Amino acid sequence: MSSIVDKIFANTTKLIAFGVLLLVAWIFVVLFEHSVESIKAFGFTFITEDKWAPNVEKFGALPAIYGSVVSTFLAMMLAVPVAIGIAIFLSEIAHAKLKAPVGISIELLAAIPSVIYGMWGLFYFVPIIRDTFGGIGISMLTAGIILSIMILPFMAAVTRDAMNTTPDILKESAYALGGTKWDVIKDIIIPYAKAGIIGSFILALGRAIGETMAVTFVMGNVHKISVDLTEPATSIPVTLANEFAEADSALYYSSLFELSLFLLVISFTIISVAKFYFLRRKRIA
Amino acid sequence: MATIIEINEPKALEVKNFEFTYAKADAPSIKKLSMPIARHNITALIGPSGCGKTTLLRSFNRIHDLYPGNKYDGEIIFKDRNILTPKEDLIKLRIQIGMIFQKPTAFPMSIFDNVAYGMRLQGIKNKTELQGRVEKALQDAAIWKEVKDRLKHDANGLSGGQQQRLCIARAIAVEPEVLLFDEPTSALDPISTGGIEELVVELRDRVSIIIVTHNMQQAARVSDYTGFMYLGELIELGRTEELFVTPRERLTEEYITGKFG
Repeated sequence: MSSIVDKIFANTTKLIAFGVLLLVAWIFVVLFEHSVESIKAFGFTFITEDKWAPNVEKFGALPAIYGSVVSTFLAMMLAVPVAIGIAIFLSEIAHAKLKAPVGISIELLAAIPSVIYGMWGLFYFVPIIRDTFGGIGISMLTAGIILSIMILPFMAAVTRDAMNTTPDILKESAYALGGTKWDVIKDIIIPYAKAGIIGSFILALGRAIGETMAVTFVMGNVHKISVDLTEPATSIPVTLANEFAEADSALYYSSLFELSLFLLVISFTIISVAKFYFLRRKRIA
Repeated sequence: MATIIEINEPKALEVKNFEFTYAKADAPSIKKLSMPIARHNITALIGPSGCGKTTLLRSFNRIHDLYPGNKYDGEIIFKDRNILTPKEDLIKLRIQIGMIFQKPTAFPMSIFDNVAYGMRLQGIKNKTELQGRVEKALQDAAIWKEVKDRLKHDANGLSGGQQQRLCIARAIAVEPEVLLFDEPTSALDPISTGGIEELVVELRDRVSIIIVTHNMQQAARVSDYTGFMYLGELIELGRTEELFVTPRERLTEEYITGKFG
């Protein structure tokens, strides 16, 4: 009797698990299906063409791709050093009484919905950027900064967790050879936690590249490639968020779907690399 | 009440009225303990779990200082000074008093870099000197033959016994005067254990050794002096062959005959 119950239970859970896989495949199929028209019309030039002109039915994704890459890159450049600093502080330097409150506040920051970062960015950061760097304030740079602030808590928390996995006995061994705190951090803890740290960076990268609401407010949705970071720009998710409502032709609509397919493939690749390459469980030393 | 024999040889360390209290503990874990450690000899510390032997061992290089709130009282004399004072330079102290842990602790780097680590911390950069001293340390730790062709490989690829000998090589490479062994074979198989024990005995001529062990046979096999600790006190310190054959304290006798443990 009980073996039958077990079997039913096992098969049900199996079904649910496969359902998730099916869901992923389904999303891919739908995106692809809707992209077909745009793929037929533009082929490979879709990602090399820098003109996005709905009025003449011309759709080139390069400015959006460029904006996604540059804003994410900016965000990573700003967030990585700060995240490492916070993680080192929390795992090795902070007094026990400070560790918990600061650690929890950082995890709380990670829970702030991205739309709030976007609003805050628009009303608080845009004027600062405008006054400091010129331009209208709505820009690639603002997007990069908001993104970096948004991914920072997650990066810092996961990096701290990775550092905390370093066994005490390993740290003690380095201290026992006459190491200073700094020696132990750079020679033992960071190398030991390296895989987890890089994994957390890549996950953050994945989040930054797909982030929509936080940057939609501050980026400007301007399909123009400019090296001047104070110029408004766009990214793939920003384009999607802004333009679906006004997609009035089949090709326009299909082009937006191709953009989203592109974004999904990028995000999938990034997360897969992080999961399979860096975040596998480490054997206990 | 304790029976502590006189040691007529030169002393590496001298513990005087030592007390140790862990952070947030009400009572000291080690109480008024006095004990001489003979130079260039092997002193074993035995006793049941929780008797304070590891706590005492970890006081000699003040590794307890890594965790805030721990408190030392009394004196530990090393080279004519009390090393428990706040002004003691812990970096220098730990170079002079090395430590081997319960589990092998190979660093996440190559075999060569592991052994060179302590020397590099001291600022030694000369390649020839590093190479010479790494080779010598590995030879002295009886592991040179096994690793000489793969010095650049990750040290975590070695077996447990090899890693522990690597840790010993790393510790002796900086030429300490005292080596502390904290149950160095508790994670090893019997053959690796035998290898480490032989190595400990061979090292006696150049370095004073204190070894904490759960294994009474191990204490009997390797040590010259044995201290038996119980509930934070040193009950008896004697020459190993005498302590195990004719213990003078009733508690020592009961422990070594297995009446409690």
